Amino acid sequence: MNIDFAPELEEFRAEVAEFFATAPTPAIREAGRKTTSVFAPFQQCMEWHRMLYDKGWAAPHWPREYGGTGWSVEQRFIFAEEYRKADLPPLLPQSLGMVGPLLIDIGTEEQKAKYLEPILKGEDFWAQGYSEPNSGSDLASLSCRAEADGDDYIINGSKIWTTYAHHANRMFMLVRTSNEGKKQQGITFLLLDRVDYPGMEIRPIVGLDGFPEQCEVFFEDCRVPQSGRVGEENDGWSVAKHLLKHERGGGNAASPTLMRYCERARAAAATTASPFGGALADDPVFQRDIGELEADIASLAHFEKLAISGHAIARDPAFPSMNKTINSELVQRASTLMAQVSGVDGLARQLEALRVGSNVEPLGSEFDLISMPLYLNSRATTIYAGSNEVQRDLIARTVAGS
Amino acid sequence: MDFSFSEEQEMLRDGVGKYLEKHYDFDTRQALVRSDAPWSSEAWQQFAEFGLLALPFAEEQGGLGGSISDCVAVAELFGRHLVVEPYTASIMLAGALLAASEGDVAAQALERILAAEGVAAFAYEEGAGTAAPDAIAMVAEASGEGFTLTGEKRLVIAGGEADWLVVMARQGVGGPVAGFLVATDAPGLEPRSYTTIDGRSAANIRFHAAPAQLLQGAARSLDRILSHAIIVQCAEAVGAMGALLALTSDYAMTRKQFGVPIGSFQAVAHRLADMKIAHAKARATMIYTTALAESGALAPRDIAILKGQVGKLGKALGEAAIQTHGGVGMTDELSVSHYHKRLLACDTMFGSHDYHLRVVGRG
Repeated sequence: MNIDFAPELEEFRAEVAEFFATAPTPAIREAGRKTTSVFAPFQQCMEWHRMLYDKGWAAPHWPREYGGTGWSVEQRFIFAEEYRKADLPPLLPQSLGMVGPLLIDIGTEEQKAKYLEPILKGEDFWAQGYSEPNSGSDLASLSCRAEADGDDYIINGSKIWTTYAHHANRMFMLVRTSNEGKKQQGITFLLLDRVDYPGMEIRPIVGLDGFPEQCEVFFEDCRVPQSGRVGEENDGWSVAKHLLKHERGGGNAASPTLMRYCERARAAAATTASPFGGALADDPVFQRDIGELEADIASLAHFEKLAISGHAIARDPAFPSMNKTINSELVQRASTLMAQVSGVDGLARQLEALRVGSNVEPLGSEFDLISMPLYLNSRATTIYAGSNEVQRDLIARTVAGS
Repeated sequence: MDFSFSEEQEMLRDGVGKYLEKHYDFDTRQALVRSDAPWSSEAWQQFAEFGLLALPFAEEQGGLGGSISDCVAVAELFGRHLVVEPYTASIMLAGALLAASEGDVAAQALERILAAEGVAAFAYEEGAGTAAPDAIAMVAEASGEGFTLTGEKRLVIAGGEADWLVVMARQGVGGPVAGFLVATDAPGLEPRSYTTIDGRSAANIRFHAAPAQLLQGAARSLDRILSHAIIVQCAEAVGAMGALLALTSDYAMTRKQFGVPIGSFQAVAHRLADMKIAHAKARATMIYTTALAESGALAPRDIAILKGQVGKLGKALGEAAIQTHGGVGMTDELSVSHYHKRLLACDTMFGSHDYHLRVVGRG
């Protein structure tokens, strides 16, 4: 066993920190500080993506021949840590973390040639069309229908919880191509070249935090080319399961973001009065709460580092589900603690002040501006990408005979 | 980064594991705990033959020059088999302090310990329940060429059977914490032996001006030795957690109620999932902390995180295992309750998770 603490790594850290300190524009920094979701403000996020691409750092988790960085585990963690310390907007996961790695693994040569580079460069943004109004946790029951017609499919039905579809220029989706056999057997995985096909309509949904992050997408006799299919017709479920490994498995570490939330909560607690006197940061109950949270986040960091280094723990079939469960519940706990520190100062609804580029002064501190929207938005983490109830079902199935 | 056991470590685990499976099954272990013997001298001899007693010591001291990850590799198996032999107490703590001391007396004692001809106990705890040396109040008073110790030490594992006690006490009133060696045939010792809830032999020992010898230099290494012992104790707890997870899942898949295995009920299945998550988190932190120690980068906060996480997660996993087993989980007959009591002991010794997690939170 060993952990590399070579001096070159500190040079690497300095190089990364230097870039993060100098490259991002003020708007990108503001977007990073005002990120209250897994999904950062779109425009600045993509602008930052393109700057990272120019630097060669857009996709550290991709294989080198496809534009990855070829960094060691240590370097990837240092990059993630410095990224969070600088409060920069996280890159959106749908393209870089989901459809990109999927195409690298199982896309056709044509699909790779056409789609990977624009994803890497941050020119394209892909929406993920999975859930439907009647198919959430039971995703395989989906009914959005695609019928073959010549070289095309004709799609009828709708998708929901399609994050940032109103910003997307492409979309990957699951459609039903057959009702024969088991429900998993009649599903097909499609890449849509555009999101403005005739018969396709995107409507944003305003969330509990006041932001239109999610969308509903409607299809009415919408004709799309069959060349966008990944894998065989009716074999889309296995393609989707493959993609889920990337979605839940986390090519990127989540723990640095969580550590950053704790740092922010600590800093805010130092200037917040405890109702029992003194600063909240010195309150024994607060210390016990944040200590428990930070120790749990440390365990996630250890889990992630073992996994990225190729330790057997990541080959456990339950790994993606365990990773998703641990990570999502920690996001909720961290944001809960943040909202708790803000207290009454978190109750003001400040949508305009939260907008990047806004000239509206926030009422309290920037911490108080983001803590409540983050808390509200993070209710989604245990619902999306397979609810945590579904994750625990999957984990339990692997426990027998372990 | 490499967090896996090496080929040599896997071979050692294989050998020790096979021995324990064959000669240290649960029934044998229970017969041992019920007997008058504090532990199995045959097992201790066997540990010596495997090189485990010499494992963490330098070659010039007769040891094998093993690392902390070598000890962890074996300790996880000790936890799996609920071993009651005083490995952490006599080797990782008392032995390591003797090895860190100057002088012939310490060297001679260590030589006999490595040869399985003697056992040393570590007299540290005074009731505060933490590993922090600040909590030590016992005073060693200078007397002639040596010292005398007065006061009480609690939960001294193997304290009733050991040939020597390595005692941490203050050198003079208000003085620094130092290590002292006491031969257990010396006057002024009043041990009261008992068996711990997890089957180990321990003693509370009153010292009435008991003659002691200063272990010159030992205290300098106390932090490192305590940290390594805590890592080994946590590895033992993680081994117990893994065994408990496996036997609870087996039980949930075979025990039928309402005509189906209870593991098919979602409430039970989700508890099993949480047990698996708890084990994965505790094991990841245990392995990572071991690698930190091995790389010489261990900070006090890392130990607080480890001890806090393993204590909290282990206790929760043990309670979940009992609940899943239902009535039989409450019995002395099944190993479930014994694993839980080992996890409780691991949590409580050297600071419970409540203490360590607040240390983490204090920043």
